[in-house]
Amino acid sequence: MNKDAQMRAAINQKLIETGERERLKELLRAKLIECGWKDQLKAHCKEVIKEKGLDHVTVDDLVAEITSKGRALVPDSVKKELLQRIRTFLAQHASL
Amino acid sequence: MKMEEMSLSGLDNSKLEAIAQEIYTDLVEDSCLGFCFEVHRAVKCGYFFLDDTDPESMKDFEIVDQPGLDIFGQVFNQWKSKECVCPNCSRSIAASRFAPHLEKCLGMGRNSSRIANRRIANSNNMNKSESDQEDNDDINDNDWSYGSEKKAKKRKSDKNPNSPRRSKSLKHKNGFSVCTSASYTLPLLFSSSGELSNSDPFKYNSSSGISYEALGPEELRSLLTTQCGVISEHTKKMCTRSLRCPQHTDEQRRAVRVYFLGPSAILPEVESSLDNDSFDMTDSQSLISRLQWDGSSDLSPSDSGSSKTSENQGWGLGTNSSESRKTKKKKSHLSLVGTASSLGSNKKKKPKPPAPPTPSIYDDIN
Repeated sequence: MNKDAQMRAAINQKLIETGERERLKELLRAKLIECGWKDQLKAHCKEVIKEKGLDHVTVDDLVAEITSKGRALVPDSVKKELLQRIRTFLAQHASL
Repeated sequence: MKMEEMSLSGLDNSKLEAIAQEIYTDLVEDSCLGFCFEVHRAVKCGYFFLDDTDPESMKDFEIVDQPGLDIFGQVFNQWKSKECVCPNCSRSIAASRFAPHLEKCLGMGRNSSRIANRRIANSNNMNKSESDQEDNDDINDNDWSYGSEKKAKKRKSDKNPNSPRRSKSLKHKNGFSVCTSASYTLPLLFSSSGELSNSDPFKYNSSSGISYEALGPEELRSLLTTQCGVISEHTKKMCTRSLRCPQHTDEQRRAVRVYFLGPSAILPEVESSLDNDSFDMTDSQSLISRLQWDGSSDLSPSDSGSSKTSENQGWGLGTNSSESRKTKKKKSHLSLVGTASSLGSNKKKKPKPPAPPTPSIYDDIN
């Protein structure tokens, strides 16, 4: 288990060092905006805020409401592409 | 921690996949969090709901999707059939024709002024009105164009009437083909060859640049040795083409030379003047006899005082075109000396006599 944890940590470190993580993040953001994920989520937010009242909105409320829905709303194509890129990265740095 | 110790290749694919999934999830959650922070900030700053419009306006600007209307709810071709009343003539005009009609009706715009001017011009031409003002106005209005025409005409008249081109065109019109110094390729007429200028003696113009009066007999002789010299009946100019110019026959040339230089003046050959063949003494006697015969047959009533024996001797020996081919070379020597100097002096019209050696040859012959 430690090995796994170590390995994951090592991989993450590699991701950050090479800058791949940043690139993946940007790619994901662009794709989500393109597919309309952001607008959908925004509409949902508005409803939540209107229910709760504008002044009583907190970050925690928002986070709890949105992340679950957001994760579900991501289209499959975006998910697959991102996973593909991650696997490629892992394959490149397998022996490293 | 070195990655070399932990080689990923040793892991199962499932584990790799699990790792990939974890990384993906992390990324997605990052994005969601980022979005949440944006929204929260917008809410707290108060600009979250700014891009929303109230429902009433939303209804007003709703997209229309009915047949016959565009998305704004407007009817197509609504104004085609409508008619407007012209404020000027109080007529009811179709909307699409209204603007051009108004332009003409009010007399403004480019076309209407043009038409008006044309009408005025036409009416002036037809009426011959005594109102000079109008005519002057027209002239003044079109001054730029009329003036240029006048100037153009003046310029044309100022052209040199003595230019060879001009003379050529005149001669063409008259129907009498005259030689000029231009190229031989001109399709000038041969029909006029029968007409000779013998009937019109002593009427020579200087328009071709060859003024008979200005030339002395020596110059004339030199000219005639190199040029056709036939005088055009219409323009009274000597032909400046070569001795073989196709517009005039040798008869004409001989006539001119006899005319100028006396009965014994003979047409020289152009080509022969360039040859340098040796002279044969024995043949010269026969030549001379033949020449005398030729000269006598060409007697014409001429008063030319330029006919002198020395000149006749000094003149290059030419023959008729029929005989020229055979005896050309033998006479060339005689004519060469005579014409060489004259050729040189011909175009400059120097008042110099032909070269002295010429008479000496004749002296030997005689």
